[in-house]
Amino acid sequence: MLIRKHAMRRTGQTLSGVALMTVFCAGASAEEVQGGTLYGDMHVVTQDMLDHAYGDANNFLHTNGNYAQTRYYPARQINRENVHTLEKAWVFETEVVESMETTPIVVNGIMYVTTAFNHVYALNAETGEQLWHFKHEMGPITTYCCGPNNRGVFPYGDKVYMGTLDAKLVALNAKTGEKAWEVELADPELGYSETMAPTAVDGKILIGTNGGEYGIRGFVKAYDAETGELVWNFDTVPEDSKGVWATHDATGRDMMRDITAERVAYEKNGDPYKTLGGGVWQNMAVDRETGMVYFVVGNPSPDLYGAIRPGDNLYTDSLVAVDLETGSYQCHFQYIAHDVWDLDAVSPPIITMVDDGAGNQVKGILHGGKTGYVYVHRADDCSLIRFSDPMVSQTGRWTLPTKDGAPMLPGANGGVEWSPMAIDPSLNLAYAINLHQPMTYHVEETPYPEGKLWLGGAFKVIATEQQWGNVSAVDYNTGKIRWKAKTEQPMIGGVLATGGGIVLTGEGNGLFKAYDSASGEILWQYKAKAGVNAPPASYNVGGNQYIVVAAGGNVQLNYPRGNEIIAFKLAGR
Amino acid sequence: MRLLPLVFALLGLTAQAEEDVFAPVREQLQTCFSCHGEEGASTNPEYPILAGQEFYYLYVQLKDYKSGLRDNPIMGPMASGLEKAEMKLLAEYFSEQAWPSIDYQATPEQRQIALSSISAGQCVACHLSGFEGNSRVPRAAGQHPQYLELTLRNFKTKARNNSPSKSSLMGSMSDEEIVGVAAYLGALGSN
Ligand code: HEC
Repeated sequence: MLIRKHAMRRTGQTLSGVALMTVFCAGASAEEVQGGTLYGDMHVVTQDMLDHAYGDANNFLHTNGNYAQTRYYPARQINRENVHTLEKAWVFETEVVESMETTPIVVNGIMYVTTAFNHVYALNAETGEQLWHFKHEMGPITTYCCGPNNRGVFPYGDKVYMGTLDAKLVALNAKTGEKAWEVELADPELGYSETMAPTAVDGKILIGTNGGEYGIRGFVKAYDAETGELVWNFDTVPEDSKGVWATHDATGRDMMRDITAERVAYEKNGDPYKTLGGGVWQNMAVDRETGMVYFVVGNPSPDLYGAIRPGDNLYTDSLVAVDLETGSYQCHFQYIAHDVWDLDAVSPPIITMVDDGAGNQVKGILHGGKTGYVYVHRADDCSLIRFSDPMVSQTGRWTLPTKDGAPMLPGANGGVEWSPMAIDPSLNLAYAINLHQPMTYHVEETPYPEGKLWLGGAFKVIATEQQWGNVSAVDYNTGKIRWKAKTEQPMIGGVLATGGGIVLTGEGNGLFKAYDSASGEILWQYKAKAGVNAPPASYNVGGNQYIVVAAGGNVQLNYPRGNEIIAFKLAGR
Repeated sequence: MRLLPLVFALLGLTAQAEEDVFAPVREQLQTCFSCHGEEGASTNPEYPILAGQEFYYLYVQLKDYKSGLRDNPIMGPMASGLEKAEMKLLAEYFSEQAWPSIDYQATPEQRQIALSSISAGQCVACHLSGFEGNSRVPRAAGQHPQYLELTLRNFKTKARNNSPSKSSLMGSMSDEEIVGVAAYLGALGSN
């Protein structure tokens, strides 16, 4: 762990770290390129390839499969009939043993994966052989709430792009791993940092920010893919964040707000927008027909102490749409106004056709909430069409946090965490992974601590209560749960569904399972050495379909850590 | 690490390496050593180990002592005369030293209570499982348990108030838990 840091330390007291890094980096780049000739010069990812990713059974170009973020991979060589013969094709061990949340990206037989602390590897996707390795030269200030994670690169043109823990956006040459440029997105001292993979479209790199636990002011920014210049910025918290003083959440439950006291505080102290949080730390869905970009905005800061931030705290805990060209606001829907439980909106939204409740098929947006519901919206105005049956227990929701801690379900990790859902449009099912993790919510009056962790209290896991997880299949046209498979531990990572009628997702105990998409029957499983808590991907090279997933465990739920990228294919191929 | 002198020589950096970047704070360093030990490798359980601590954490603590955000009768006056540039140099100096081993053992009972407390508080989400520190998060593994216990208590009572979320969390911890966690962390890295 932290190999670079330790290497830099105690190396002679007066030599600056920078000179030393030069030595190490020179070593790394000597291992570079072989990739260039492997499959011809096919590193370049065009806009056309990205636009057609939903039907591309060779590559895996987007963190969540395609711009609609369906995580529905069309290939069917591996399918519900033969998946029981799936076996390990190769394993690649990274240098960093720590939580892995990377989605492997595959471009014409070259795979790109990232690790905690922002290492990037390019691998031969057929053999797992390393082509190059890039270690980001980390600045002194990094911030994270839930591990030094990274969720992967985005390939675009002849580059791949990554966000870093010290709040930078880095562009690398896809062939060599050399850095083309980097820009600082925001001041890391104030708690800004990056764990999400960016999204590239029409010459722009879109990226949000972490920091909802630090009193940042959230944003989504668009950068020029070639030059790294800022094209537009959307503040996720408007200067007037008070909203409509909503008393009930999206599912119709009373949130127990003291609106009178909040109004008084608002009059007295003004709008809290400057330190209100509202991070965006998962990818956005892009509607290529309308040019709308959909993302979900995280919790208000501080998480638990609401009195200091009166109002609905727009647009925290919301689905928001902006215009791709200008970043201008289009519509929003807030799930929880004035959240004091950290039950924010995180899991990436999905665009798909849905029933509008009157029997018409309309373009919809799906979101798996930390509350443990799947929400279904109209894409044109963000309005809510329906919410599903709850996937997890809602015992005591809503109970206000207290000084000594009040128990409630879901716990602060959800419901559904950041884990991306997948859908199978032929079945109208959305697949979500859930946590049943009882917690107590503690509140404490806390002024803004100037860039330090700012929870306004504490969340505590109730050690004596049992925890578990589910894989849930939700019919997004009716809101009914079609099937549900229980798992030993709370689930975190992500889901992939395929044209072969299978759903793949991993667990903290190292199990990686394939379920029948229609019935939830377990068709295959593999046991990795560490927790499988990253979203799976799939690709085809040399006539074989592969499934690939990272097994690095998870720091937030303390699942056994590891460093493996594992690729699977059918036996005998 | 043994190869490094060779690498420096090859790169012609030896000359540069002889320039003392810490010259502006050498005098202050001597004062620090008088309590925190030679090179910050404190052997006195009342004084925290600084050698090998995180650069950014150390810098922020010095700033907070100076501003009074971390209120301490010994370190407050010590930091009051320091400029930001000096704080950075001092922090850099200590962060580059080797963390000393204090060779400490926790009892099985302390270990057990610590593990359950750490799990309930989700401590590793920030500290990572080794408690080795990273940037704004201090190294706690192998720190003097007596100091750790004091600082956990000070968080709880808000005598130490420069990381409010720690106060909320420690506020929910019992005395027994605080003692156990301090012992467990102190013993991390010693076998
Ligand atoms: C007279 C003894 C004494 C001297 C001299 C002294 N310190 Fe300290 N230092 C302490 C004590 C005691 C603490 C613990 C205080 C507390 O609980 O906040 C401390 C704490 C610290 C901390 C916080 C460590 C942590 O883990 O949070 C830093 C940083 C520090 N000292 C730096 C320095 C530097 C730099 C110098 C020299 C300029 C220095 N100290 C000189 C006694 C001393």
